Amino acid sequence: MAIRELKVCLLGDTGVGKSSIVCRFVQDHFDHNISPTIGASFLTKTVSCGNELHKFLIWDTAGQERFHSLAPMYYRGSAAAVIVYDITKLDSFQTLKKWVKELKEHGPEDIVVAIAGNKNDLGDIREVPTKDAKEFAESIAAIFIETSARNAVNVEELFQSISRQIPPLENTDVDSNESFKITRQPLPSSRRCC
Amino acid sequence: MATDASLKPCQMDRSSSFFKLIDTFSTEISELKQEMVQTAREPDTKLLQGLEGEVSGLFLQSSVCTGAAGVRDSGYDSLGRRISVLDRLTHTHPVWLLLPLNDEEAKRILQPQPPGTFLVRRSSKLQKKVISMRMDTDSSPVTVRDFPVTESQYTFSLEGSGISFADLFRLVAFCCISRDVLPFTLKLPGAISAAKTTTDLEEVAKLGIRFWDSKLCQKKKSSVPDGSAVQQGVKQAGQRRSLGDNLTPVPRTRTPSQLECSQSNGALCFINPLFLQTHRSEPASTEIVTSAASGDNCALSHSSSSSTQVKSHTRPQSILRRAISKEYARNNGVNRGESLSRSPPPRPPPPRTIPSRPAVPIKQKSMPETGVSWIKMPQEKTGLLGRLSSSFSSLTLSPSSLSLSSPIPMPSCHGSRASSIPDAEGQLCHLALEDQIIEQAVSQSLAKQALRNAALESRSPAEEGSPIGRERLSDISISTSSSDSLDYTPSFTLPAAASPSRADSSLEEEDDDGVGVESDQELSIEPPFKPKKRHSAGTFVLPRALKGHLRKVSGVFNSLMTPEKRAVKRIVEQSQNKSTYFGCLVQDYMSFMHENCSCHESGLELLQTVRQFMTQMKSYLLQSSELNPPIESLIPEDQIDQVLEKAMHKCILKPLKPVVEAALHNFQVSSGVWQQLKENLALAKTKQPQEMGVDGAMPPDPVAIEKIRQKFHNMSKMYSPEKKVSLLLRVCKLIYTIMEDNSGRMYGADDFLPMLTYVLAQCDMPELDTEIQYMMELLDPSLLHGEGGYYLTSAYGAMSLIKNFQEEQAARVLSSETHNTLHQWHRRRTAQRSTPSVDDFQNYLRVALQEPDSGCTAKTLQVRPYATTEEVCQLCAEKFKVHDPDNHALFLLTEESTQQLAPDTHPQKIKAELHSRPQIQAFYFIYRRIQNRSLTAPADEFNGNSVPV
Repeated sequence: MAIRELKVCLLGDTGVGKSSIVCRFVQDHFDHNISPTIGASFLTKTVSCGNELHKFLIWDTAGQERFHSLAPMYYRGSAAAVIVYDITKLDSFQTLKKWVKELKEHGPEDIVVAIAGNKNDLGDIREVPTKDAKEFAESIAAIFIETSARNAVNVEELFQSISRQIPPLENTDVDSNESFKITRQPLPSSRRCC
Repeated sequence: MATDASLKPCQMDRSSSFFKLIDTFSTEISELKQEMVQTAREPDTKLLQGLEGEVSGLFLQSSVCTGAAGVRDSGYDSLGRRISVLDRLTHTHPVWLLLPLNDEEAKRILQPQPPGTFLVRRSSKLQKKVISMRMDTDSSPVTVRDFPVTESQYTFSLEGSGISFADLFRLVAFCCISRDVLPFTLKLPGAISAAKTTTDLEEVAKLGIRFWDSKLCQKKKSSVPDGSAVQQGVKQAGQRRSLGDNLTPVPRTRTPSQLECSQSNGALCFINPLFLQTHRSEPASTEIVTSAASGDNCALSHSSSSSTQVKSHTRPQSILRRAISKEYARNNGVNRGESLSRSPPPRPPPPRTIPSRPAVPIKQKSMPETGVSWIKMPQEKTGLLGRLSSSFSSLTLSPSSLSLSSPIPMPSCHGSRASSIPDAEGQLCHLALEDQIIEQAVSQSLAKQALRNAALESRSPAEEGSPIGRERLSDISISTSSSDSLDYTPSFTLPAAASPSRADSSLEEEDDDGVGVESDQELSIEPPFKPKKRHSAGTFVLPRALKGHLRKVSGVFNSLMTPEKRAVKRIVEQSQNKSTYFGCLVQDYMSFMHENCSCHESGLELLQTVRQFMTQMKSYLLQSSELNPPIESLIPEDQIDQVLEKAMHKCILKPLKPVVEAALHNFQVSSGVWQQLKENLALAKTKQPQEMGVDGAMPPDPVAIEKIRQKFHNMSKMYSPEKKVSLLLRVCKLIYTIMEDNSGRMYGADDFLPMLTYVLAQCDMPELDTEIQYMMELLDPSLLHGEGGYYLTSAYGAMSLIKNFQEEQAARVLSSETHNTLHQWHRRRTAQRSTPSVDDFQNYLRVALQEPDSGCTAKTLQVRPYATTEEVCQLCAEKFKVHDPDNHALFLLTEESTQQLAPDTHPQKIKAELHSRPQIQAFYFIYRRIQNRSLTAPADEFNGNSVPV
């Protein structure tokens, strides 16, 4: 089975639980055969999808404003971006909208965008209604899911839906060597100006 | 292989012993087969001729065949038997290694061939390399069967077989000797297996795939040797016999368990268990004399040596020194009781000692003389197994006497060409294969008999005096590092079953001999096992069946040179060899970079051109046939890119590193970046972790910072971007550890990136900026999405923040410069370049001559990277035979414009710039008449606006 490496970028305000979601995703059903990464900022996990194996290379970003300008380096070449907000913090949802805008303008063209409303377990202090977020996600054709990294709710599902949205390799009889390469590289386009 | 080996004996010989074993196996088998067939048919006259050859061969052997004979005596090349199967395969791979061949073509080629004929190709169906083999139609329903080759990391093996080989050639060579999982052994086409010289082989190789349809192939298929071939064969046989008679080493093979013994520092040699099985069932032969110390025993009556004949070849036996020293020990009484308790094998009559026909050619007179020296030498050296290495080196002056007289059953150095090389290095250990095995493999008892007769006929009285009894000494020879003997683990025991007859016979012999004392010494001298690291060429062969045995010595595997290393080494050697096109390209680029490093606009551009060059060279190596043998046959497919990348680092980055570093630094200094960086670093260093965005996590203390600085310092010494990145990863790991140790929780980028920024500021190493640039631009782009790429990106980001610390503090924005850099980096990563073609390379420039009457004629000219337009014009005038060069000039034609190039511009540089644009547009270099403004320029028909510069 061909393994495709898919770069996935994690965006979102600091403290919304970006790394918690990924840690949960990677550490549940931990595969001891895979050499662990040195830290939680970059994690990998392989899942099977149809007749392909998707190896997610998950690039975490620093959510603080001062690191915002570095984000393009992290999301370029990504097959998917997971934008995380905290359902108990309206601000984080506003930041999410900024990220969506930036990705639209500067991100890879066919990047799969997933919106994850984290801390679903804290529903009683919710500030962002599910409906609003869902509508927003639909408006931009993004995956939407509410997760709880703490309770391991919907974390697996989040990445599975990303996997499903990744178009299979057009060329199935392509040389196996090729299949290791990311095929979704953005074309250099004049509208990028970062 | 042979050429390589002879070029780089010291590098190649040590570890390729296994393959030499195979070489010799196959050489000997095929040759013996031929010889036997031929001698069987030949009348006496031929035999006499053969004898003459034998004598001269012997003469050659004793006087010339010294340790290095194989290397320096090209005369040996002329003898077919000098060419091993591996060499034959290597030389003729264009014939049988036809990777792109499809099923039908393979079938068409193999159909008319005899069973066993084979091709190696890549099956599109299986997506694997396969050995396509012509089957025996009597027993098989299909004419051609494909046997898939499994390529695991660094090894090649047949599917279903437990024996792995470092490369395809060795796998095929092995399959030519041992069928392993195949229904029978592979057979080389007659023209290849019978070729006597490498020139013959090259002739065959030149034909490539056409060989199969050529007369050469058809003719040889008949396999009826012509007269000269027969003669040659007889000669060879004769030579071999005479050698055997006089040199009397013990041909024998090693059992796996014995082989294992050699592991500490020797070759990794295995014999297919199947193979052993086959031979075990072989009936006892009377032919083999296994006197271990026959060399020493020259003075002994031949009956004594004949008494050592092996009766039952329960297995191929080892001649490992360990085994030998054991034997010595026994002979010395150390293990006497044990050895004595075992009854020596019956002594069949020596096959060749009895001169039924004392036809003594005149030259044979020389024999006893040499024989004398052989006798003498051993007296000193006998049994000095532990000291063999020293004796070997001391013996390089007269290696023949050494190998001939050595008490170990050591065949003379006249094995394969390759195997004789180590002699020159004073490193030789021969593995002799028992005739039994060879004969069994050949399975022609009739021919065997004939051979023996021939041997008997050729015996001379002089020879009889010497311990004889075997017809071939170098039947199988394997060379390993001589230090093998020093490194045997005492704990290694020789399984009794493995070498009973061997031990017994040598015991007997040596008791007679009185060599015991010395072997005693030798034993005591033998140092304890020391796991010496080997850095020379190595071979990684791992039959699963033997894994258990090998566990003891598994440490050795780590130190063996992997095929990867060998491939890298080969490419690096080629890159330094200006007689290859690849070498030219690399060396020209090197000199260009050394002279013109500063002609680049920026450090970034410099690094990008270096990266581009490396990428081009990689694809050149893949596309061209210059790597001989093709890399696909050496390295499993999914490893090739990685291996090429490593080779590029070694042959391009390693020599360029100082130049590039200096240039990068100069760019920084001249652009003021260096000063700015230093100031900002100093400022950032004064900041508290919190001011750098660290929130909560514990920062490293000054001791840890110092440790990190040290790591960074080490990092800057590396030339390979990958190694640098791995050191960067270690730094990051250390930072994580410190953070996590203090809290016990995992940290994502929210915490890590600020911490990394803080740490970089604390390290206060402005040179890290160019280090990071170097890594980012030169790292294999395929690694940029992985962990290395991630932390490199983070380090780059952190450094950018520090670099702009003042501005960041003021405006919290990155300078536009950083944005530009990021953008450029992005572009490099994402620009999808088409694979470069030959004329993209730095040395070639395709120039079209445009003439008003005859249109365009294009030529690809060799233009050095820094050649000026003026020089190119001169070249064009010469190549296009232009009569009025003064009126011609070089123009660059693009979609939008035509520009005349100024005489001092560099066309190659212009080309490189055009190539590095994100959107490559078509461009051409046109050499044409300068337009006279008053005339209608013919070029304007081509492209309207000409803009003379």
